[in-house]
Amino acid sequence: MQTFVTEAVDWPNTAPALREQVRALVAEHGTRDPVRRANSWTKPAPEFSRKLGEAGLLGMTWPTEYGGQERSQLERYVVIEELLAAGAPVGAHWIADRQSGPLLLRLGNEELKRRWVPAIARGEAFACIGLSEPGSGSDLASVRTTARRDGDEWIIEGQKVWTTGAHVSHFMIALVRSEAGSERQAGLSQFVIPMDTPGVSVKPIIDLTGAHEFNEVFLEGVRLPASALLGNEGEGWKQATAELSLERSGPERYLSSMVLFLELVRHAGTASDPALEELVGRLAAEAWTLRLMSASVAAKLARGEDPALEATIVKDLGNSYEQAIPQLVQAAVDFGDAEAEVLRAVCFYLLQVSPSFSLRGGTREIVKGIIARGLGLR
Amino acid sequence: MNDTRRMLAEMADPLFAELGPDASEERALPQFEELGLPLLLVPEAEGGFGGDWLDALTVFRLAGYHALGIDLPALVVERAESIERELAMAFARAAQIAGALDAALGLAVGYVNERQQFGRPLGKFQAVQQSLATFACEAAAANCAAMGAAQALNRGAAEFEIAAAKLRANRAVEIGTTVAHQVHGAIGFTQEYALHHLTRRLWQWRSEYGNDAHWSRRLGSAVTARGADRFWPDLTARTDPACR
Ligand SMILES: Cc1cc2nc3c(=O)[nH]c(=O)nc-3n(C[C@H](O)[C@H](O)[C@H](O)COP(=O)(O)OP(=O)(O)OC[C@H]3O[C@@H](n4cnc5c(N)ncnc54)[C@H](O)[C@@H]3O)c2cc1C
Repeated sequence: MQTFVTEAVDWPNTAPALREQVRALVAEHGTRDPVRRANSWTKPAPEFSRKLGEAGLLGMTWPTEYGGQERSQLERYVVIEELLAAGAPVGAHWIADRQSGPLLLRLGNEELKRRWVPAIARGEAFACIGLSEPGSGSDLASVRTTARRDGDEWIIEGQKVWTTGAHVSHFMIALVRSEAGSERQAGLSQFVIPMDTPGVSVKPIIDLTGAHEFNEVFLEGVRLPASALLGNEGEGWKQATAELSLERSGPERYLSSMVLFLELVRHAGTASDPALEELVGRLAAEAWTLRLMSASVAAKLARGEDPALEATIVKDLGNSYEQAIPQLVQAAVDFGDAEAEVLRAVCFYLLQVSPSFSLRGGTREIVKGIIARGLGLR
Repeated sequence: MNDTRRMLAEMADPLFAELGPDASEERALPQFEELGLPLLLVPEAEGGFGGDWLDALTVFRLAGYHALGIDLPALVVERAESIERELAMAFARAAQIAGALDAALGLAVGYVNERQQFGRPLGKFQAVQQSLATFACEAAAANCAAMGAAQALNRGAAEFEIAAAKLRANRAVEIGTTVAHQVHGAIGFTQEYALHHLTRRLWQWRSEYGNDAHWSRRLGSAVTARGADRFWPDLTARTDPACR
């Protein structure tokens, strides 16, 4: 049995130059605040996103016809791992660049592609994911929001919840029930809903740190043209689960606490405490391993393979890692020490947000269920 | 995998399976010699096999997978030049751990699909599935770590990578052996059943050539000495083309 076959990743020759470009850009336009650098892919900063767009660092792999750069998947991987490692505020465009753009290019009609894709690549259009509902979390196939035909139009009725970034987004890609009376995975479709459509309203949900990152989105008699249907009617489940594999496979699934690890290294340098150095060693080994695993998944995706099992393994290990770091740092570091002030601030922030790491994008239990299926157990 | 490596695997796999945990030197050594395995890392020009570190990974991993009773990696490393023995053996043990974890995972998955309790296979119970999924992640991490170290060895100096790989593999031993035994129930605790050949060696290999504390101290002091601002640039420079 071998569940994860790694091969040498062919890092592009342009990688060192791309890294330099990203590092310089983040040094100039990123944030200095270490707390804001933690979990930075949920921190929206539209100006920063536009800077990336101007620099040709969004929609990197997309056709130039739609505002892309036609660069390789691995070149994009280099850019996003650099942005995350540096704690750049990439939250505004993250979802659009990662999954909505690719989804539109793959399945969207010409009208949808022209309207949204070039704007995403410029860092001017942001997207949110409309999957979860009050009654549908892990059991996504139970969604109840409906789409009903009315002449040439569709009318959407229902509610989405936990919608990250809905308040800064320009459109949502929503999974809804388009066939009345259908059950489970059948009869679902995806729609592109501009957030300024009448009937769409966004209500903030404040998280336990006091931050506003996710929302409730109410969809009341939202009228959409026929062209808002994404892909094929009735194939929403297949499309949405394929989208999830993009959502689950990236380096953001292990790098959310990297800033804290780096602060720990800084602190260990002044503390001369062998226990701290041991912790640094252990966390460095894990970071090195996860980077290899994550890049290997990216290389497989780039070759057109579907490494769904490997991607899920990286998400599970990666989430556990980024979740463990704040706990381990708290256990090892004396926060009474004045030298540890920055470390303490980042640690306390991450202690509070890290429970979400094994929820968002599919919970730990759901992810392990997928791995078990891959092992032939279900 | 390239052709030489596939050939190597096709040779080593059945041989190691046949020799198994109880292999005797009298029987094994002549067969190793015949296949040129002890000279795996000796250049062809010097009459060796001319293999690289990815070839070594293939052979060491299979030795672990079959819980081969003879320390073939030690024979190979003895003849390898230009690398410190302790480092090369730490790499070898990481590769063996990776192989043995995959074998133990295979045994465990096979067993829970066969064994029935409460009228169904154990593998249908979610608690069992979740434990095995955790195990699979650890086995995957150990395998990727060993692979990463082999790739680094092919590029040159690989002390960081070997330290990281042995440490990561060591840590995987804990969950792997625990879950493998748990899902097997009492049968896994017998001499008759094959699991102990793997798990007892896994515990041994975790200690040999650097336990967790040893490598985390070494790695930790090296990373700390370089400083926080060098960690990420160093990590990426290790794999980027211009810096190879
Ligand atoms: C920070 C954050 C951002 C998010 N952003 C978005 C977003 O942008 N768009 C969006 O659509 N959703 C988003 N989500 C929602 C996320 O996808 C859901 O939280 C997740 O799918 C779990 O659903 P739930 O919260 O309803 O929990 P539930 O499904 O009710 O689960 C609660 C617990 O029960 C466990 N459980 C459930 N079913 C099973 C089972 N069959 N077997 C074993 N255990 C089970 C779960 O693993 C979990 O531990 C976000 C969530 C968070 C925390």
